[in-house]
Amino acid sequence: MTTYTQVQKQQRATKRYKKRSSFEEIWRQLRRNKGAILGMILVAVIVIIALISPLIYDYQKDIAGQNIKQRLQKPSAEHWFGTDELGRDIFARVLYGARYSLAVGVVAVLVALVIGVTLGASAGYIGGTFENIVMRVTDIFLAIPSVLMAIAVVSALGKSTLNLMLAVGLASTAPFVRVVRASVLVVKDEEYIEAARAIGMRPWKIILVHILPNCVSQIIVQATLRVASAIISAAQLSFLGLGVPAPAPEWGSMLSSGRQYIRDHSYMTLFPGLAIMVTVLSLNLFGDGLRDALDPKLKR
Amino acid sequence: MYRYILKRLLMLIPVLLGVAFLIFAIMDVAAGDPVYSIAGPDATEEQLDALREEMGLKGTLLERYVRYIGNLVRGDLGTSYVTKLDVMDVYMQRLPNTLKLAILTMVVAVGMAIPLGVTAAVHQNSIRDTVSMVLALLGLSMPNFWLGLLLIMFFSLKLGWFPTGGNQGFRSIVLPAITVGAGLAALMTRTTRSSMLDVIRQDYLRTARAKGVSEKNVIQKHALKNALIPIITVFGVQFSNVLGGSVLAETVFAWPGVGRLVVDAIDQRDIPTVTGALVLTTMLVTLVNLLVDIIYAYVDPRIKAQYTK
Repeated sequence: MTTYTQVQKQQRATKRYKKRSSFEEIWRQLRRNKGAILGMILVAVIVIIALISPLIYDYQKDIAGQNIKQRLQKPSAEHWFGTDELGRDIFARVLYGARYSLAVGVVAVLVALVIGVTLGASAGYIGGTFENIVMRVTDIFLAIPSVLMAIAVVSALGKSTLNLMLAVGLASTAPFVRVVRASVLVVKDEEYIEAARAIGMRPWKIILVHILPNCVSQIIVQATLRVASAIISAAQLSFLGLGVPAPAPEWGSMLSSGRQYIRDHSYMTLFPGLAIMVTVLSLNLFGDGLRDALDPKLKR
Repeated sequence: MYRYILKRLLMLIPVLLGVAFLIFAIMDVAAGDPVYSIAGPDATEEQLDALREEMGLKGTLLERYVRYIGNLVRGDLGTSYVTKLDVMDVYMQRLPNTLKLAILTMVVAVGMAIPLGVTAAVHQNSIRDTVSMVLALLGLSMPNFWLGLLLIMFFSLKLGWFPTGGNQGFRSIVLPAITVGAGLAALMTRTTRSSMLDVIRQDYLRTARAKGVSEKNVIQKHALKNALIPIITVFGVQFSNVLGGSVLAETVFAWPGVGRLVVDAIDQRDIPTVTGALVLTTMLVTLVNLLVDIIYAYVDPRIKAQYTK
């Protein structure tokens, strides 16, 4: 027998179910994924470290300042990660280095995102010769191994942090062009797009208001995972001496100088690498979780 | 089938020309006008001009590009600014080392990825699945050059099993191959797992089991064979990253391959060498991708059927 309160409860339940927004739904999915939550927390911690490290350390004194008397000391209570060949505290430099890696990763992906989305969306929407040209140029970019591409761009522009961002960004643009174009093609011939065109909406506005929202989730997932690979690319270039110039505590360049002391002072190569791995791992965990939450079809 | 290969080869030409142009243009910006540094500060304008003529630096970017392509077709990539050696010769001398590394890398990657991926899929959601997936995630998140350094620390310095670098026979190539292969293995483990999971749910596997085919044969003969196509695709696409990754591994292990050639040439601002090496490497990547496409058009009767009509 159904009582009045039960009916009411049921009604309330249905109402609540219907009211749940897509954001809440994604959050509910994401919350169930322990890895994604761990990744999210770690990313948050790393971002906080990057933001507050200049408040804790003085760049001139603690990060770049040399102290030859203290050089190459093993990890101790005073220097948790030891000191490098110029007597600088590796713990401080690793923490401070988060600023460089995150900044380079995020800016590089923003560069790739802006160029990639613009080109991909307009190629998909306009079609014809323009689309053909854009996609063939994308093929060309994809054909060149991205490390080599970034190396070439840095050597053309010169070594600096900004150029590193540009180089890594350019080298990761092509996948965005492809993803966005593909999702534009899917919705391009839908009736609501035709309707928007019929009422005289401008093409760029149609793309922005009606087309891009359809692929936002894919773009977000791509971007999160790309930040992870951009951080690795940036570290690789710095390791080769083509990235952030010294004395900045970039993790890749710290590894490059640690490499010369690998025989007796292996801690110098241990900690900066660990920092890169933890950062990239958390971004990957978060990105994977986000992808599963946004596209349950992919989940197994 | 031949028409398919021919069509693909023809389609390759504009891409290769584009690649060459892109690299040529980028390196042109990088070079600036190198005659000043070569001729020294006291050179007169006539001497500079003569030097430009001699080095083939005359004319607009497009003119020089056309000349470069013309020479490239004849196998001439110019001479190095630094060593004065023929770029093509130097590249061809280094290439076997990089190819050796690439092949062993692929072997390492497949050797790790297929067993891990298949186990993960067959025992889905078990502890073995979790372990495989965690390993894959670690492999994807670890910068390859750092892995290389860790391998040196442990296997070369501590245990003394492998040399720390150089080219002293087979033992020198093991650690670099693991360095480049780990990331690829991680990616392929994931692909193998999801591809196997797709196949495992198909009806024909149930039929095979119902016929009394042993579980081992069901997995090896029926499932894995059908799951291979996406795995081969990843393999082909990733060849480009293998060559890219070997730039780092070759630097870490002082392996005399193409990657080190590029890095050293950039250090010395040796533009003809960098341009030539990048152009040839990209061509190699593109050709390997084509080869992979052709292989699975050949392997998979469904793809083959589209072209034999």
